Amino acid sequence: MDELYLDNIDEYVNDHNKIVTYKWLSLTLGVHVNTAKQMLYHYLEHKRKESSPQLHATYLVSGKLEGNGQTCHHVSLVREDQLEDFKSKMSLIVSVHVYSVQKALLKDSGPLYSVDYDAVKDNLKNCSKYSSIRCTNAVPMSAAELQQFQDVQRAPPPVPESKTSVTNGNSSTASKPSSKPQKGIMGMFANKSAPKSQDNSKEVKSEQKEESSSVTEAVKSKQALKSNPVANFFGTQTKKPDKPAKKEEEVVALEQQHQRTAPEEEQEPAAMQSHKETKSDSRSKTKRTEVSDSEEEIMEKKKRRRIKRPEPDSSDEDVIPDSPPQLKTKEKSPEKEPEAVRPSHASSETKIRKRRKVLKSRTFLDDEGCIVTEKGYVSESYSETEDDFQSTKQAPHASIKAKTTSSSKDDEKKSHKKSSASSNKGTKQASIMGFFQKK
Amino acid sequence: MFSDLSAQREGSSLLCRPASEDQGPVFERTTIDYSPCTERYRLGERSFSRQYAHIYAARLMEMRPLLSERAKHKWGSDVLIKKLCDLETGEQCCIVGTLFKRMDLQPSILKEISEEHNLLPQPARTKYITEADELILEDELQRIKLEGKIDRDKCVTGSVIVIYGAEKNDGKFTVEDFCMADLPLQTPRPELGSDKFVLLASGLGLGSSKADSMLGLQLLVDMVTGQLGDTGEQSGAATISRVLLAGNLLSQSTQDKDASTKPKYLTKKTQAGSVEAMRLLDELLLQLVASVPVDVMPGECDPTNYTLPQQPLHKCMFPLSSAYPTLQLVSNPYSANIDGVRFLGTSGQNVCDIRRYSSMESHLEILEETLRLRHLAPTAPDTLGCYPFYQRDPFILEDCPHVYFSGNAPVFGSKLVKGSDGQEVLLVTVPDFSSTQTACLVNLRTLQCEPVFFSAFSADEDEESEMNVSH
Repeated sequence: MDELYLDNIDEYVNDHNKIVTYKWLSLTLGVHVNTAKQMLYHYLEHKRKESSPQLHATYLVSGKLEGNGQTCHHVSLVREDQLEDFKSKMSLIVSVHVYSVQKALLKDSGPLYSVDYDAVKDNLKNCSKYSSIRCTNAVPMSAAELQQFQDVQRAPPPVPESKTSVTNGNSSTASKPSSKPQKGIMGMFANKSAPKSQDNSKEVKSEQKEESSSVTEAVKSKQALKSNPVANFFGTQTKKPDKPAKKEEEVVALEQQHQRTAPEEEQEPAAMQSHKETKSDSRSKTKRTEVSDSEEEIMEKKKRRRIKRPEPDSSDEDVIPDSPPQLKTKEKSPEKEPEAVRPSHASSETKIRKRRKVLKSRTFLDDEGCIVTEKGYVSESYSETEDDFQSTKQAPHASIKAKTTSSSKDDEKKSHKKSSASSNKGTKQASIMGFFQKK
Repeated sequence: MFSDLSAQREGSSLLCRPASEDQGPVFERTTIDYSPCTERYRLGERSFSRQYAHIYAARLMEMRPLLSERAKHKWGSDVLIKKLCDLETGEQCCIVGTLFKRMDLQPSILKEISEEHNLLPQPARTKYITEADELILEDELQRIKLEGKIDRDKCVTGSVIVIYGAEKNDGKFTVEDFCMADLPLQTPRPELGSDKFVLLASGLGLGSSKADSMLGLQLLVDMVTGQLGDTGEQSGAATISRVLLAGNLLSQSTQDKDASTKPKYLTKKTQAGSVEAMRLLDELLLQLVASVPVDVMPGECDPTNYTLPQQPLHKCMFPLSSAYPTLQLVSNPYSANIDGVRFLGTSGQNVCDIRRYSSMESHLEILEETLRLRHLAPTAPDTLGCYPFYQRDPFILEDCPHVYFSGNAPVFGSKLVKGSDGQEVLLVTVPDFSSTQTACLVNLRTLQCEPVFFSAFSADEDEESEMNVSH
């Protein structure tokens, strides 16, 4: 064995003034810990023979100690001068070896700890590489195994989650749609909403935890949302984690509204049917989701209110999760202006799913004999082509008229009021809700 | 003993020049069969809307037949076992019920918040017992005061016992003798061919402001991973087949809620003490799990739920060490079958709580008492936080463990207890490492426990104190 290590240790001890512990040496030179201990001993001997400048060493002594009628295995770090003393006190000595070598006399063993701590910290991955014990089980799991493990962990939680919603009562069911907005959207895209919506009217408070039910609930809540003239957001935001509490409240409120507005349901399926007709819908919807991500940031800050549309727009469903903030505050999004420009670009953005603000001024006589002039933005979410846009534009009109007889009158009025209020306030004021929607 | 065995092994001294080429010996860690009993103390979904009375009902229902057996065994099979509602004055009989000790000093939240008393919150005391305490026995329907040959100071609320005596005219029950459920049956442990050890340690106390115990901890880790010591000792350390950390991995000082006492502007950017401490723990565990299977139990100061049974620490807090399959995060209380030897133990909260409400001082004595009562934590839920179980009481010992331990004791203690049906239980009180620098090694073959003491030198220490081994 070449004696290079002697020079190495010499360098560390004398030139760098380091405390060389066996562990540090073993990690630095890449040798077995026992070899490192022996190296230190050899170095110590060598230097002592040469009578070079003072070197101090600490030793590790372990053995059996008897005291107070009990024997214990004592492992101790001692200074060189205490070594013999210690050895004499032990009844049986198991091992003695050099722990560290350093130039200065150590009064306290604290620095030894910090040296070892740093050595280990720098080599966390292979701290046991040079130790004398191997454990066959102690092999870190590969990333794939870890992923598998995590997936297994994650799969049960959603199931118990659903169960908790049973025990915790109704309110938690509302959170289900929020937890699976994606699926809800996809469910909508799957064009199965019509039968589901009808089921939903029966089981508004159902506690089924199957995905389908959550989807249906999401669908239903979204539909209910639509029936609510106040809430309209675009689906892009659903991908963001929404506040379940708000959603909860909102969806529950919506559910209740939904119950009241049972007749609406019939309209919805009908509307949905018409909506589903166009093939481009599904195409655009899928595309919509792709592009919607990019637009999310833009859309985020904007406060949208959509006029309730009877047909279950896929965008509506996407938008449902955001309805709570919408419902609660009467904010107007100042950014509606840029959106107003959008309709002109409708052709270029036919496949993009978002809400567009169409600045228009509508004057009409509602059933109470009030002439309502809306000079506001009608934010409509649509992802169809311009032609569809036209047709859908007609639809809200029709639906509004049709609904005058239903009990959603209040909602209507609310929406009118809100929209007029918004129109009055214009787009000058930054919306508060932009605050909440930032995620 | 570990020392003897290590000394007997073949090993050359390391006080010599390094041999040529020889890389150094590598020993294989002894493997053992291990199967944890996870379901008993794990809570699935939790609902706190129930009252705690159900636990007591479940406890009494489960223990009543066992105690009736014991009563017949002790006082003759023709002894009358009556319910409290059927008691007649002057009749010698046995009654089975739950003990309740009415203590004046017992902290009561109702008294504290009641304005008519104008009480300030009571300061924490070491003992809450007084001379004026009363023992009452309760069963499903009634309760009756007890007096007589029963040591009131040793008993704690929640223990289910059977009492032999008679009701006197004044409406109190005079106790002539009483009996506890005693040890359950034990499956005999298999004969092991070679010595295998399990290391028990608790109270690591990471994250504390004084870092005195850190070197001791490092020495412990080095010894277990086979870096410390001669080849003989290293091969001995290879027989340590498992490490069990019984709670209080973080120090009490990480529990300081600075945020609630100091003003916000001072504490705004400060991190909780436990964050750094958990990182230290993760690094420490990484060194251990790379070499030996480790079971980590949470304790009083660890970031998990407060009520018993404490759920395992979450693996997201251990990003480095949870990659290893040798890391097992387990609940408190913990029960496992290690190579045929049944281990059962807690992190010490149950023992500390009994200590506060009885006159018993030694943790080992209290541990034995809980074993005889056949219940891990009789004071739960009265003075010890507990989950409101509904139809079961998981703290009742159903079968007898071979090793029964509790962590965070002030001193190390171990005792072999023999039961009436041939049971053999090793009781171990695992000492708090941050104050005693002592861990325990249990030999699975002989069921003996040996303390391991780590020490270092410091400036103000003279040799006498170094030899002051804490036993």
